[in-house]
Amino acid sequence: MDNATNLTPPRQQPRIYQFKQLLPWLIPIALILLWQVAGSLNWLSTTLLPTPWSVFQDGVSLWRAGELPKNLGISLYRALMGFALGASIGFFFGMLNGLSKTARGLFDSTIQMLRNIPHLSLIPVVIILFGIGETAKISLVTVGVMFPIYINTFHGITSVDPELIEMGQAYGLSPKALLTKIVFPGALPTILVGVRYALGVMWTTLIVAETISSNSGIGYMATNAQEFMNMKTVLLCIVIYALLGKASDLIAKLLEAICLDWQVKRSR
Amino acid sequence: MSEPLLTLERIGKVYGAKMALHDVNFSLYPGEFIALVGMSGGGKSTILRLIAQLEAPTSGEITFAQSDMVTRVMFQNDRLLPWLTNVQNLSFKSSDPTQQARALAMLDTIGLADFANGYPSALSGGQKQRLALGRALMADPQLLLLDEPLGALDALTRRKMQASIAKICHDQQLTTLLITHDVEEAARMADRVIVIKDGTNIYEADGAKGQDAATIGTVAERVLEVILNPATPARG
Ligand SMILES: Nc1ncnc2c1ncn2[C@@H]1O[C@H](COP(=O)(O)OP(=O)(O)OP(=O)(O)O)[C@@H](O)[C@H]1O
Ligand SMILES: [Mg+2]
Repeated sequence: MDNATNLTPPRQQPRIYQFKQLLPWLIPIALILLWQVAGSLNWLSTTLLPTPWSVFQDGVSLWRAGELPKNLGISLYRALMGFALGASIGFFFGMLNGLSKTARGLFDSTIQMLRNIPHLSLIPVVIILFGIGETAKISLVTVGVMFPIYINTFHGITSVDPELIEMGQAYGLSPKALLTKIVFPGALPTILVGVRYALGVMWTTLIVAETISSNSGIGYMATNAQEFMNMKTVLLCIVIYALLGKASDLIAKLLEAICLDWQVKRSR
Repeated sequence: MSEPLLTLERIGKVYGAKMALHDVNFSLYPGEFIALVGMSGGGKSTILRLIAQLEAPTSGEITFAQSDMVTRVMFQNDRLLPWLTNVQNLSFKSSDPTQQARALAMLDTIGLADFANGYPSALSGGQKQRLALGRALMADPQLLLLDEPLGALDALTRRKMQASIAKICHDQQLTTLLITHDVEEAARMADRVIVIKDGTNIYEADGAKGQDAATIGTVAERVLEVILNPATPARG
């Protein structure tokens, strides 16, 4: 008995591992299959709820027509521009206020106050100021991304272990070396938490902005399809959002795995 | 005796309303191993921080033989950088290849050659302390300051680390200041034991470095008596 239990685990382990990897996919796949079957057997009205297969076909034809690549491209452009701008501003002020007490005194309470305004409430202001052009969408994403990056950079910098900083000073590091060798790496895990959160904010903001006021982009595609009661394209847009969200989450995870491999190794 | 490496004269240190040190006087001579012992809160760490120039004294003067003396502190906790590998922790100050080679040689000296590319989080407590010691030695310091470096270790590992530190300090002719609660450790390792009590140095005894257990015991006993004696004896 004892012998048997000792021998089996090495053989079973790979199979358990594979099964665990499949586990998260089980429910989504089952739901899609169920939905497809329900549609094909006419249990559901396919005008109200088209089947997954017809949504997929709609996607293929929109891609061939060039509509989908164009709108996807413009949405990605807005998302990335807004993220780059917002993340740079947030990172800059996070570093500045984290490192300088004077800057903190000057900026922090103002930033904390502005942060409490839901950035989507700025949509009317942005439309009045910039119309419905690119600037409007990009600036909304910028504002949305800025705060989580700021908060996490600031918090990351200020919570670096002061004993490590003292060690660096005692070992003769210059202020610049102290920043690059101790303060920044110490703050990086917290900063990356901010990046991950900000990527989520980026998509939500963009979707809302494109849905309300736009004449291009995935959000616009959905609103436009809604006016023609085209449920297939509406669903297609929702699926695309889900995929984009998942993709940015994977990118964030990859970034963490590369930058924080020392933490990964510890938890194993 | 030769010129002292450094001298503390009438040193005082005040934190707010708290007088941490007053009238501390002693010298450190090149190559000697000094132990500071005393009750918790007596001011030992404060003395070390002043010598390491992490803080400035409120009064009195510390004179150094040279202005550009290389001093290294080994803190009570290891203070290793968790995001660097063990070998990078030794050469964290510069990435030039000669430092890399030195770091590898140092890992060998401290018996961690097999752990070069692992992270500190995977080391045992004693291994972490050895790595911290190696890091302190990387700069070839003239003065090594040790603040309770072995406090967190079990008795056996502690004895082993005492031996490694003693050997390295002896081989490299390092001037060393060791802070410890353990009077026996002080007696065993030091040339001179200084007792710090209530912010000043009250007593000095010859250590029993390299001598037999009985001598070590006698020195330790005498020092302990001084520390526990409620009446402050005159300076020895
Ligand atoms: N930064 C500080 N601010 C205020 N008081 C301090 C500070 N550092 C030390 N002290 C006080 O100075 C006194 C001496 O402290 P110190 O750390 O030098 O003691 P110690 O002898 O090293 O004690 P231990 O053996 O427990 O480490 C203590 O009463 C402590 O509370
Ligand atoms: Mg102390």
